[in-house]
Amino acid sequence: MASRKKVLLKVIILGDSSVGKTSLMNQYVNRKFSNQYKATIGADFLTKEVTVDDRSVTMQIWDTAGQERFQSLGVAFYRGADCCVLVFDVTAPNTFKSLDSWRDEFLVQASPREPENFPFVLLGNKVDLEPRSISSKRAQQWCQSKNNIPYFETSAKEAINVEQAFLAIAKNALAQQNSAVDLYNEFPDQIKLTNTQKPSNGGSSCC
Amino acid sequence: MSESSEGEDVRELFVQDGVLLFSATASFINFVKSVGTLMITEYVDNRRFVEWKPIDVTVDSDIQDQEWAVVNTVERRVRTLSGNVLPEHKNRSKYLRINFEEIKSFRISDKSRRLTFNDGKTEQICTYLFQHGNCEHLVGFLKTLVKTVPSRRDKHLFIILNMNDPERERIDKSFAELNVCNDSNYVWNIWNFQERPVVTTLEAFAKITDLVYRVPQHREMDDDVKEILNKSITEYQHTSTTLSNGEYEVIDCVSDLPNRRDFPRGRALCSEQWNGVQDQEGRIEDSECLKLIIFQGGIVPSLRQEVWKYLLDYYPWNSTHSDRQKLILQKSDEYFSMKLQWKTMTKTQEDNFTDYKERKTQIEKDVTRTDRTIDFYAGDNNPNLQVLNDILMTYVMYNFDLGYVQGMSDLLSPILHLMQSEVDAFWCFVGFMNQLSANFDADQVGMKEQLSNLHTLLAFIDPELATYLDNHDSGNMFFCFRWLLVWFKRELSEEDCMSFWEVMWTGFPCENFHLLVCCAILDQEKQSIIGNNYGFTEILKHINELSGQLNIEKILNDAQGIFYQIKESDRLTDVIRVLLGLPVLYNSSLDNHETSPFVISIETSNESSNHPPECSVDDVRISPEEIQFEKSISSNFI
Repeated sequence: MASRKKVLLKVIILGDSSVGKTSLMNQYVNRKFSNQYKATIGADFLTKEVTVDDRSVTMQIWDTAGQERFQSLGVAFYRGADCCVLVFDVTAPNTFKSLDSWRDEFLVQASPREPENFPFVLLGNKVDLEPRSISSKRAQQWCQSKNNIPYFETSAKEAINVEQAFLAIAKNALAQQNSAVDLYNEFPDQIKLTNTQKPSNGGSSCC
Repeated sequence: MSESSEGEDVRELFVQDGVLLFSATASFINFVKSVGTLMITEYVDNRRFVEWKPIDVTVDSDIQDQEWAVVNTVERRVRTLSGNVLPEHKNRSKYLRINFEEIKSFRISDKSRRLTFNDGKTEQICTYLFQHGNCEHLVGFLKTLVKTVPSRRDKHLFIILNMNDPERERIDKSFAELNVCNDSNYVWNIWNFQERPVVTTLEAFAKITDLVYRVPQHREMDDDVKEILNKSITEYQHTSTTLSNGEYEVIDCVSDLPNRRDFPRGRALCSEQWNGVQDQEGRIEDSECLKLIIFQGGIVPSLRQEVWKYLLDYYPWNSTHSDRQKLILQKSDEYFSMKLQWKTMTKTQEDNFTDYKERKTQIEKDVTRTDRTIDFYAGDNNPNLQVLNDILMTYVMYNFDLGYVQGMSDLLSPILHLMQSEVDAFWCFVGFMNQLSANFDADQVGMKEQLSNLHTLLAFIDPELATYLDNHDSGNMFFCFRWLLVWFKRELSEEDCMSFWEVMWTGFPCENFHLLVCCAILDQEKQSIIGNNYGFTEILKHINELSGQLNIEKILNDAQGIFYQIKESDRLTDVIRVLLGLPVLYNSSLDNHETSPFVISIETSNESSNHPPECSVDDVRISPEEIQFEKSISSNFI
């Protein structure tokens, strides 16, 4: 078993401008929603202590600017990430279309050791809004095509599924860290757990 | 192991970052004033080189190591490249590379911050400025690879003794034949002394020294000659150890700037002063004097609406009342015709115009979240949001290449609030954007350059803090990104922000004064940062949390103090002068690239010169003439 040292999980939230990255982070960490968040400039992060599988971990959640030209600055922040959260707005089709480039971008810039096994989690945000333009099915198909990325439908405004989503994010991030440790300790079996983990907390709109 | 081109194997024996190319041969002139990495390399055939590459050269090949990499997948379209984009370089053959054999001497100056390589024909090959620390380590390493001897004429000049040089063999032979060591007079008369007295002297001297050092047992010398030579050698050692460690000066790491003076803020520009400087027809004669008053104390709020129009280049300072009336009508027409352009765009047009639609969507997203806590923009269906939107949309039509980038709505918001007029706010915003457009380059070069310049200034003012940041993954200064992008808009209250901007717009006391403002804040936070042993994340957090906590009066006071500390420093360098727009001194002939014709002597070791030089003289952007800054602030302003 790995040591009981305090664990720090670094999570990066990516996605188009105005999909709700800052709101999701604040809803999860501070349990607050505001209509008055400004567009993020540069980068910021919040931390939250959580217990995952009986382990106490600190999540460090990074929020970055969504406009594409600012992404060339991301490298400094992506390094050492344990999980990448991709966010789109279920009422804005373009934000869904951008997911591929956000994912690719992250892999290029963060260059994790095993890109094919690096944990991503997809959040379809703003489910409280109508009309909806991206169905659950469509989002899940995309997730399947990307090596079964867990998918959650959330509302940062109404606090729907946010807690569950971030718990899954924490678990995936922890598994990523453990897999690195286990590789080192020659317990490769546990890596498979990471890959077979089902998005079971996906809420009512899942599947 | 770094990338090698054409299958060449190369070892990097020594690498130093943060080295600015100060002057170079014509083919590298485009890179002059760029920061890069200086290396000593060895190729499989044992040839050694001094190589320099600008920071961005290896973006494509070496992406993980570049904090600032511009990634192609992100930038699908090129919109507003800054014009400073380096040509795509991949190969080492594109680096500024000097074969060791080319280097006949090198000179260390500026307290070991400046290193010049010479080709032995009294011409410089290139000069580097070491922005982080000094060239001590590099020179130390270089000296393990080549044998050098300090010049007698110039203790900072080191002549490289080339063991395999046939010329040297010849001269050795000549010396022997001339029995030089028995008749020192000959030493100074050999060769074309008249044609090249300095070099001839230096070479002759170096060779004698070399002879003495290397093979004294083979040379028979008269006692008096020995005495002269020994005395000379002792003198070198003496001169070079006076202020130095070994053979060159070591800079003191402790800041040796003059004491910081206090510059209390002055009184704000008031109506009496404002009316007093206008002539009967409404012209403002002494705009510099006005700007100085504004620099020192800002503007009383009731006058802002009018004075900002001048500061933001909407109204010319020398315009009369009637000129301005005409101007207002003309600018109003111009504005509304541009507004009509996008207002009349049909849905089909929009759908077929992706770039336009993207800008439009982004503006809509940002307008609804710009300063909504300020009454002027608060509440649902606030009509002022529509005006904010319309001005930004019209700006897209005015400058489509730049378009709309996040942060612009922050810059417009206080202007519109103050102007209360769509047309006036638009033209003032245009003036502001003319100053800040580089912040919004698609490739972010303008921001990278500012962050790099900020580091350069900080390293000069406070080497301890700069080194601390370097050692804690924060040398890229990214934690100051938000400060610089929107000029502290997110850190200050609207009132403070207005006071701050109007002071910045005056252009006093120097260029890039906003960077000194950053330095003033960092100086203030230094103890927290170092005392708490903050790392990358903590520094970022700490700086972000200063939002709403800054005392702008104190910071402006400190920044002004820092400016005079720099200006009055006896170690002020040309790099810093250029950054602050102070007159550049060319006080040393060796450092003066104006009088020193460039010689193209870049080693083209891969005989296959398949890559023609990509930087032609036509591309030259920085010339010595351009560095003649018009502005020279005299201290009698204060």
